[in-house]
Amino acid sequence: MAKTIRPMVKIHDTSTNEITEREMNDAEFEAFEAANVQQAEADALAAQKAADRAALLAQLGITEEQAKLLLG
Amino acid sequence: MATTTNYGWTTPDDTSLVKDGASAIRTLGSSIDTTTKNLNPSTTLGDIEYRSSTANTNTRLGIGTTGQVLTVSGGVPAWATSSSGSQTTLATGSLSSTSVSITSIDQTYKDLRLYIYDMANSSTGGSGFRFTVNSDTSAIYASNFLRDGGQFGGSGANNVNLSAPINPNVESKMVLDLLDYTNTVASKTGNYSAYFNDYYATPQRMFGMWAAQTTSAISSIQLSVAGGTFSGTYTLVGIK
Repeated sequence: MAKTIRPMVKIHDTSTNEITEREMNDAEFEAFEAANVQQAEADALAAQKAADRAALLAQLGITEEQAKLLLG
Repeated sequence: MATTTNYGWTTPDDTSLVKDGASAIRTLGSSIDTTTKNLNPSTTLGDIEYRSSTANTNTRLGIGTTGQVLTVSGGVPAWATSSSGSQTTLATGSLSSTSVSITSIDQTYKDLRLYIYDMANSSTGGSGFRFTVNSDTSAIYASNFLRDGGQFGGSGANNVNLSAPINPNVESKMVLDLLDYTNTVASKTGNYSAYFNDYYATPQRMFGMWAAQTTSAISSIQLSVAGGTFSGTYTLVGIK
């Protein structure tokens, strides 16, 4: 089975100004994927809210600009 | 005996005898020497002088140390360490890879500021820029921001996510402040302002605040995107 190519991480040690670059280790890759899942969930929630807002505006028969005027 | 107008040096009277000339010149020369030394007490490279409370007598002030500024203390000049506003570059580099970790951060400053210039992402359809501190990816982060299109925020996240997709072609800029980063009692916080361009090349101007529920001093910062690789540059500065 082919090895999964993991994202690269660059490390800048400011005490020595040494810069190294390597593949993410297990812990970093796990955290990276968890962050992506969390971001996908947040993006989906935002998209759902936008869709709900558009549906409600359509139901009310007003535009987004008109809704903003109503809410002051 | 006659004296000079400004410094009161003694000079021979018009009626003084010629035999007293050598003595008179020696007295005058000695007076000049004393006055000159009193006005110019410098002894060492970098010395400066200022007027003391005694007439015609200056006080020597030795040079300060690197980074000190000239200030006033007790009504006289003095060198002192700048108490605020002094900014020192701790690291500069280029963004590459999917994640950049800036480590071993100097702990002798009050605040940190990270400048990011010309940031872009190789991935079309890009992904949100995000950061963590101390490689801590537990659910300790909160962030709230205003951006074109509305107000966003949340807590209990495993990073601070600006939810701002970065375009492969259009460059973005950001300033991120990390306040009181060496504090080991309170949670960490700061603010950020950024100008991103999303993959529709739509400007996303944003301003926000972040917090991390950790009492550990910040010794490293991790910047990342969800996919693709960074480009651009960063500069980390310490602020006194």
